Formats: sequence, structure tokens, C-alpha cells
Amino acid sequence: MSLSSRMIIVLTTVGLISGGFLAGVAQLTKERISLNIQKEIEEAIVEVIPGTTQNKKLYQEEDFTIYSGQDESGSTTGYAVQATGIGFQDKITLMFGIDDSLKRITRITIIDQKETPGLGAKITDWNAFLQFWEDRDASGQLTLRKPPAGSLEDLLPSEINTITGATISSQKVLEIVNLSLEKLKKIISEGKIAVEGHDVN
Amino acid sequence: MSTKSIGAEYLKGLWDENPVFRQLLGMCPTLAVTGTVITGLAMGLATTFVLIFSSLVVSSIKKLIPAQVRIASYIVVIASFVTIADQFLKAYFYPISKAMGPYVPLIVVNCIILGRQEAFASKNSAGRSLIDALGMSSGFILALLVLSTIREILGAGTFLGYQIMGAWFKPWTIMILPAGAFLTLGVLLGIALAIERKTMRN
Repeated sequence: MSLSSRMIIVLTTVGLISGGFLAGVAQLTKERISLNIQKEIEEAIVEVIPGTTQNKKLYQEEDFTIYSGQDESGSTTGYAVQATGIGFQDKITLMFGIDDSLKRITRITIIDQKETPGLGAKITDWNAFLQFWEDRDASGQLTLRKPPAGSLEDLLPSEINTITGATISSQKVLEIVNLSLEKLKKIISEGKIAVEGHDVN
Repeated sequence: MSTKSIGAEYLKGLWDENPVFRQLLGMCPTLAVTGTVITGLAMGLATTFVLIFSSLVVSSIKKLIPAQVRIASYIVVIASFVTIADQFLKAYFYPISKAMGPYVPLIVVNCIILGRQEAFASKNSAGRSLIDALGMSSGFILALLVLSTIREILGAGTFLGYQIMGAWFKPWTIMILPAGAFLTLGVLLGIALAIERKTMRN
């Protein structure tokens, strides 16, 4: 056998065996991986809309998903919006909860981020950042408070505290939420999803 | 062909030929995922898995592979095991997999692995290659643990996530940033070299 045909046969065989093997492994782990992702989203929904036990996906487009939350009796507890946008280093995926009158952001959680460890990554920290997102006024645009206020009570209802040393990461999270709020209101006012009796303004 | 005793074959990876401190291989994961002990350990174990199985496969099929396509064949074998490790972490250790980000797929280009195939597994028996892979992995894990322990304690005041420094301790943020990785590695390499010089003089 000539050398070149031997080279081709060996490389093809190695590739085929590896490929077949990997297809098997992918098949075995596929279900569990998608379960993990689903579980992560469900936990986030429960976290951002207090009192939620079940959820329903209402609307989905690229990097933007709306869920509704229900309590045990089946009445709506609010909506959760999952959105992805550009952060300081890489994309940030977050989820925020909003009450069913679309006037108040209940809470926010960060699902995925690759901000600078120790600085921008503090957007996932409750004490440094997330606690200042409780009960925010969602009727207009939210703004950043810089330098940050000492406690939640010192902030205006439409203000978010900036993380010291990570203004851009804080700003990016705020931008994603503001954009998503606009999108959410537009989608509901255009009647793209069925939401009963809401005055969106 | 290596003629060392089995014990020496294993032990060389821990110190004499330690992949990080002596050979300066695998610097990218060494610097990137040693911010916390848990990610350092996970990287060490994932690399161990890939190194052991790649060495076993490469040493078993070495006679079938023409020299001209050996590197390409090694890479395909290595990439397959890396993908398996990545899928496994995603399925069973999701939070750790998320914390390690792109660095698990990047094990493919970790020089320790390709280096051992070319320098050892392609010239030695499967059994000896297994011992070599175990030794090199242990050396790699050891290095990652030393580095990540120093960085996590100084940078966050914790070890494996548990607070071990008192309230008086102000974390050195720089230690968990990339600069802290370079500083720690530099100091450790200096110490390793100093020890080496001292033992050689005696």
C-alpha cells in the first residue's frame, strides 16, 4: 500500500471511530444537559416572582423570552423576562420579575455572565448589587445612582445602585433591563401575547 | 523507550519533570482557572481524564499511524476525550462547567497532553504510558492546587468556598484577577528554581 493511501485510511478511520463514539456520548448526555438548563430557568423564575410555583412560556424571540408565573391556585403572580445583552466583557443573560400590572420590578437575577471576577462579577452578588433591584418602579426608564446610596431606602424607586469599580457592568445590566421593559410593553400593547386587561403605560 | 522503574516513572511528573513548575507547559489553564480551588481541581481532574485515555489509545495504536499524520491523529483522539469530559461536566456538574467557561474545550490545545503523546506515549507501551499519564496529571493537579489555594485565600479569604480568614482580612482583589495569577506563578517558579539549585549544589 502506498504511504498516501495509508495516511488517508488511518486518519479517516480515526475520525470515523471518534465521531461515532462522540455521537453516542452526545445522545447519552443530551437529555440531562437540557434538563439542567431548564431547571436553572425554572429556579430563576421562582426567584424573581415571589410566590410562584408554576410557569408558562408566553413569548420567545432571539435573546428575549417572556414567562408568566402562577401560584398553586393558578392565578397569575407576575411575569419573568429573560434577556441577553452585551456586558463589559461578554454577553450577560439575566432575568427580572415584574408584577402583573407591569408597574413594579420585583427582583432580578443574573443567569450567565463573564464579567471581571471580583469587580464586574459582583452583579451576581446580593449584597453588592441585586438587593438594590427589589421593588423598582417600572413605569418609565430606570437610572443609575452614582456614587451609590447606602441602603435601598435612600434610592428613588426608579434608581439602581452602581457597583463601585464596576460602573460599566452595572450600566450594561440596567440597559438590558430598560430595553427589555420597552420590548415587553410593546409586545403586550400590540397584543402579541394574551394578557388580560392590562393598562400598559 | 523509557527504562525507568515504575515508581520513578510516576514520581518524575510530581517534581523532576513537573509539567507546570519544571516544563512550563499548560500555562493557559494554569493561569485562567486557578481563581478558586474548586475550578482548579475540576480542571486538574478533567485534564487527568483526557491525558490518561489519550495516552492509552495513542500508545496502543502507535504502530498503525504513519509518522506524517501522527499529530493530526493525536489531536483527533485528544479532542474526542475532551468533548466527552465537557459533555459529562455539563450533564452532571453544571455549575462547575459554567464556572470553567471555555477552558474545558481548550484542554484540546493543552501542551501537556499533546506533549506527552509525542514525547512518551508514541514510544512506550500502554502500561508505561498509563503510569506516565498518572504522574504528569498528579503533578499538574498539585501545581493547580498550590496556585489556586494561594489565590483563593489571598483574593477572597476563602478555601473551597468556606470563609477561613477573619473579618479583619481585606481580600486582595488583584489575586483573583489575571495579574494575580501571573504574580503567584512567577513567585512559585522562582521558589521551584531556588530549590532545584540548592539540591543540585548538594
